[in-house]
Amino acid sequence: MSHISGIRGRRPGPRRAAGRGLGSGSPGFGTLARTELRMFLREPLALFWGVVFPLVLLIVIGTATGNKHRAIYGGLRFIDVYTPVLIVFVFGIVGLQAMPATLVSYREKGYLRRLSTTPIGAARLLQAQWLIYTTLCLAAAVVTVLVAAIAFSVHLPTQFLGFVVILLLTAGAMLAIGTLIASIAPQPRASQLIGALLFYPMMFFAGLWVPQASMGETLRTIGHATPLGAAVDGLSSTLAGQWPPGWCFLCLIAWTVIGGRVAVRVFRWE
Amino acid sequence: MADDVITVENLRVRYGEKVAVDGVSFTVAEGEIFGILGPNGAGKTTTVECIGGLRIPDGGTITVHGLDPRRDRRALAELVGIQLQHAELPDKLRVGEAIALFASFYRTPADPEALLAQLGLEDRRETPFAKLSGGQKQRLSIALALIGNPRIAILDELTTGLDPQARRDTWGLIEGVRERGVTIILVTHFMEEAERLCDRVALINRGRVVATDSPSGMAGRVHGELHFHFQPSAPIDAVGLERFEEVSAVHVRGSDVEVVGHGNLLGVVVGELNALGVVAQRPRIDQANLEDAFVELTREDALNTPMVAEAVAR
Repeated sequence: MSHISGIRGRRPGPRRAAGRGLGSGSPGFGTLARTELRMFLREPLALFWGVVFPLVLLIVIGTATGNKHRAIYGGLRFIDVYTPVLIVFVFGIVGLQAMPATLVSYREKGYLRRLSTTPIGAARLLQAQWLIYTTLCLAAAVVTVLVAAIAFSVHLPTQFLGFVVILLLTAGAMLAIGTLIASIAPQPRASQLIGALLFYPMMFFAGLWVPQASMGETLRTIGHATPLGAAVDGLSSTLAGQWPPGWCFLCLIAWTVIGGRVAVRVFRWE
Repeated sequence: MADDVITVENLRVRYGEKVAVDGVSFTVAEGEIFGILGPNGAGKTTTVECIGGLRIPDGGTITVHGLDPRRDRRALAELVGIQLQHAELPDKLRVGEAIALFASFYRTPADPEALLAQLGLEDRRETPFAKLSGGQKQRLSIALALIGNPRIAILDELTTGLDPQARRDTWGLIEGVRERGVTIILVTHFMEEAERLCDRVALINRGRVVATDSPSGMAGRVHGELHFHFQPSAPIDAVGLERFEEVSAVHVRGSDVEVVGHGNLLGVVVGELNALGVVAQRPRIDQANLEDAFVELTREDALNTPMVAEAVAR
């Protein structure tokens, strides 16, 4: 097995103090993350809904809606408004559906327990999941933006730093909520149900069915408090070359921190 | 006697109101195969989970190679390989990936390829976990318990669910592991397995150690009778054998004769047959084994509880 040779014996000394952050620090973390990624790529459904479907939707909408600039979209075309929605769609699917289902099935099978008898421990698996899903979401966002720009002349996020920060915070919020779902759900089916019950309302406020610009004042205000609503608003700003409004960061940070803290407290390993 | 590498003293675990382990003590010497026997729900698994650092005891002390499983979990994980009951792998994880993954967790892992070959899984490398047979899953689980080159292996219900051939193959494997100097704790309810593999066994019943001994020593604690089965080469008056003091009963089933008794039963019966000019064909002798000891000792233990003793007295 060639891919373990680089990890074996890399750190012969004590590594207790190596910290709990993402990335390296304990031997085997790289292998663990790569293995998790490989297994995710073997799930045709997750791959379809998480990666293929939003891209197809982008192409269909971009082709069907044409190039009309509309006043109700703030002078933008439908595809301009819709690109950020499709980006956060992937984050929602991955964070609220794919990850919790995986974690719950791992717990149900006793895999988390099995890992906790090895030097790496089960907490590392959680970190590996967060790492690969964040990476996947970022990659999908980059592909979406590039396809939208090349095929439909959607503006690239010229406020690039703001774009990346909003994406990272969106991943954080979704994975925190997803981990919380995994803590509550007794079996994978329950986690899928809870995930769906959260995903669709969140996607509504993100503008999947009605663009945010066409929502009434009340709906928009509610939407500002939802993680995907804030994410779409923030991403739209960066596509327009502007730094996102402060409340976008505030909202996403609040979801990440509160969701994450509760999840860590109530998470069950067995 | 080699040094003790595992010491369990007065271990107590309760689940809510129910006391699962109630003052269990034993020691395991380096390099031995130590069996933990007992009926379902006796507290066997809970005991080994405490040794493996998976469960926090409510009382008592455990030392494993000088480590406290509660405090030194990580160091313990390098030393102890555990094969858990009901611990599966992700469905899509392939055998080769699983073994490479677990190897990457340890500082000085065993050779994954050699281990797969030893367990007869080398041609299953690309098979996902969900597609393995029960026996293959069990063998993979054993491989993962051994991949870290542990000094101690804890094997819980090792051969449950395996067919007889696979069970015997696994026993051979365990003997091979012991030859490498690994200390093994074997939780089992197969007496044949304990008799074949274990140097010593502890019999646990209702959270307490009833007896600790070698398998033959354990069997010797119950004074069972001898059962001598044979087919006489010519018809005899078998019931007449009951006149001997050593014989307590004679059963005749068709051409089979079973003489039950004690002491020099065999000498008396064979002497009598010689005198009659009859040969004992297809002879077989049964005597108390570990299984009888298990049944007898757990029954005695149940009788010792006040409630049952009272019920029996009535």
